[in-house]
Amino acid sequence: MKRKAFLMLCMMLMGMWLSACATTQTVQKPYRMSSQGTVIWEDEFEFMPPPPDWKLLRPEEGGDINFGFMRSDPGGFPSMTTFAYDEEPFGCTAASFEGREKEFFKRFLFNAIVNFEVLERKKVRVVGGEGLQVDVEGKDPVKGEKVRARVIFGKRGERIVGFYITQWRPMDGTYDMTAFDIFDRFVNSFKFLKKSFYETL
Amino acid sequence: MEGHQRNLYLYERFNARVVGVSRDDVTTLKYWGDGLGVTFPLLSNVTGFLGVYFQTQPEGQPIFGRRTVIIDKKGIIRYVRDGSPEFKDILLFLKKLNQEGGRP
Repeated sequence: MKRKAFLMLCMMLMGMWLSACATTQTVQKPYRMSSQGTVIWEDEFEFMPPPPDWKLLRPEEGGDINFGFMRSDPGGFPSMTTFAYDEEPFGCTAASFEGREKEFFKRFLFNAIVNFEVLERKKVRVVGGEGLQVDVEGKDPVKGEKVRARVIFGKRGERIVGFYITQWRPMDGTYDMTAFDIFDRFVNSFKFLKKSFYETL
Repeated sequence: MEGHQRNLYLYERFNARVVGVSRDDVTTLKYWGDGLGVTFPLLSNVTGFLGVYFQTQPEGQPIFGRRTVIIDKKGIIRYVRDGSPEFKDILLFLKKLNQEGGRP
């Protein structure tokens, strides 16, 4: 009898231990879809997402961007495209977009060591205000790689925010400009749903 | 440092001033600060006594560890955090300190 009771106790303890192990952890997504097909990101931003073949990019902690999307492109290394929204684009002192552009390009893709050529610079409307769009191409003749990028600066309250897309190709590769159209659609649809932390201080 | 520079207008709003301290010499700091566009003071403390005072000098190492310290107007240390600065945390603390009249 004693042995049975002991076995029962062991089984109960084992059951309790296993149920504790089986506790499921719910991972919450930072976004939800609206009925219009837009993404509501952390109840703070709303935007039109890219097609499903683009993967979501999120820095684990303290990364250079808030979030973005990436896609592997056909062709040899390093054929890929990424775009992102960044609350803290490189640079700090310049209050003007033009000043910020100079600061930004000192650091943008700095570990790739490419020589940038500005292809186009123009004023745009972004997130409900004025902005600056700069298209550049960078080349790394040593590695035989090139990159085409579009950077758009806008304002959120008093602070400059940035959107950027980079498309890498081997030196003899061809750029796919439809990715830039997808990026533009993302930027043009982008809305702030609430004030930023800095605006509430 | 760029983060502090971006937040300077908010520090001013909260009556706070920011100062960086490093063991680098003046010429190095000037070059480095200019490159980043930093406009607040960077103090060169080559002998490292400030690191000893604020306990940021790892034993046997010639550099300071990263530490953020907020000192109020009475000279009392009110906030100490190690590692990269938590800018939002710092701003909220300065706002609170300013509201309670303990201007940094």
